[in-house]
Amino acid sequence: MNPDLIRARSQVVKLVRRYFDEQGFLELQTPRLVGVPGQEPHLEPMWSEMKEADGTSHRGALITSPEYAMKRLLAAGFDKIYDLGPCFRNGEPWDGTHDPEFLMLEWYRRDAGLEELMRDTENMVKFVAKEFGKPFPEAAFRRLTVKEAMQQYANLDLDALLENREAMAQACREHHQTVGEHDTWDDLFFKIFLSEVEPKLGEVPTFLYNYPVSMAALARKDPQDPRYALRTEFYIGSLELANGFAELSDATEQRSRFEEEQALRKSLGKEIWPIDERFMQALPNMGNAAGIAFGVDRLAMLLTGTQSISDLMPIPVRERF
Amino acid sequence: MASPNDIKKGVVIKDSSGLWLVVEFQHINPGKGAAFVRTRIRNLESGKTLEATYKTSETIELVEVEHRRMQYLYHDASGYTFMDQASFDQVTMPDDAVGDQGKYLRDGMEVNITTHEGRPLSVELPRKMTFKVIEAMDVTGGNTVSGGNLTKEVTVEGGIKIHVPMFIKQGEDVIVNTETGEYVERAKKE
Repeated sequence: MNPDLIRARSQVVKLVRRYFDEQGFLELQTPRLVGVPGQEPHLEPMWSEMKEADGTSHRGALITSPEYAMKRLLAAGFDKIYDLGPCFRNGEPWDGTHDPEFLMLEWYRRDAGLEELMRDTENMVKFVAKEFGKPFPEAAFRRLTVKEAMQQYANLDLDALLENREAMAQACREHHQTVGEHDTWDDLFFKIFLSEVEPKLGEVPTFLYNYPVSMAALARKDPQDPRYALRTEFYIGSLELANGFAELSDATEQRSRFEEEQALRKSLGKEIWPIDERFMQALPNMGNAAGIAFGVDRLAMLLTGTQSISDLMPIPVRERF
Repeated sequence: MASPNDIKKGVVIKDSSGLWLVVEFQHINPGKGAAFVRTRIRNLESGKTLEATYKTSETIELVEVEHRRMQYLYHDASGYTFMDQASFDQVTMPDDAVGDQGKYLRDGMEVNITTHEGRPLSVELPRKMTFKVIEAMDVTGGNTVSGGNLTKEVTVEGGIKIHVPMFIKQGEDVIVNTETGEYVERAKKE
């Protein structure tokens, strides 16, 4: 154990809170244990069982993100809110960039879009880095649409491949990627993206934004081009730090996307559970909000030059299990 | 058939375009997508390297490779020459095939060589090796901060430059991670 690294992580957490507090955001401690966790097809919650004093039993799960609770609170009238606390994900590798319990920051604004999220992220990261003693250069962080990134790094015209599995499969073959009969369009996209785009983003802090609509179940569509959704990811040194959306508030559209996700979970042989109806009921009152999830441990890794998340954890996963 | 979860450094993937040695690999869980294994692979015929990403649920073909214990003999214009400890056969690997790890080889040391049908593909070094610091300045300038600790650059045997904590002095032995090129700890005095 390196006590300097443990202290450094603690300091990063404090600086993040200070930034949002000074910007007039309200920190909310949303529940960690919930009845209906997020159902993203590729995330697995950790399930548990709770009993009331009379023995009544409830199935519960540790949250994979505070998103549903935060959106219900937006719908209840809160604005400019953040949550910074542990989130839990099952079945992920215990490697240098993952711990099954990690610190996640989420913040939301009403009447906002990707531009506000990218601005908040840039200002917060620059503030934390400067106060930590590792300032970023003054220059604005880079902003690239996914379409521009695919063109620049993989020399592919994404417009021509959207919603066309055969065209994407052909692109994969030409880029020396395997094509399996069960690979979805998204899988094929990821093979090229993970091989040729993500590793080449480099040290310049970069926002990728406007993702194919199939890859953004909780995002509003881009009014200029509805084949893309208003989602952004933030990278430094090819490490993904954040993922945000201009949040979908249309309950009908949301229900149909949840049903598609359930169908995908089912086809992957994964468990499905009912849609969170309290969340669905609240959704239309949320307005045009925007929100983003940010990996605080990963920011601490970057600022300390640490290769492994385990070095920053007071008691890393391999010493807990 | 094999699973991409079986991919490790040194395994050989066979596909329609030939045999590919895995030089680097990384498990990726984007959360928004399925789980993948990202690799950097080198074609055994052309020497061409590229990145390929496999979904962990697909099947791939891995070919059998042998691990042979060999002694490192010397380096010259044709590359690095090793001798098989069992058959006394000598093999020479070009610089490209050995790559950055070549700098850690010392005359007479034993290593594992991965071979396919008798052909040497890659060198496996011990993950941790001890080196004597041959040049270290007691400086205060030019320091860099790593992990909150002050470090300085020193030169160890073989002319390799590494970053070590400030307290390391010339003549001391240090342990280096040969995969990352990073300082691990000060070697215990005998």
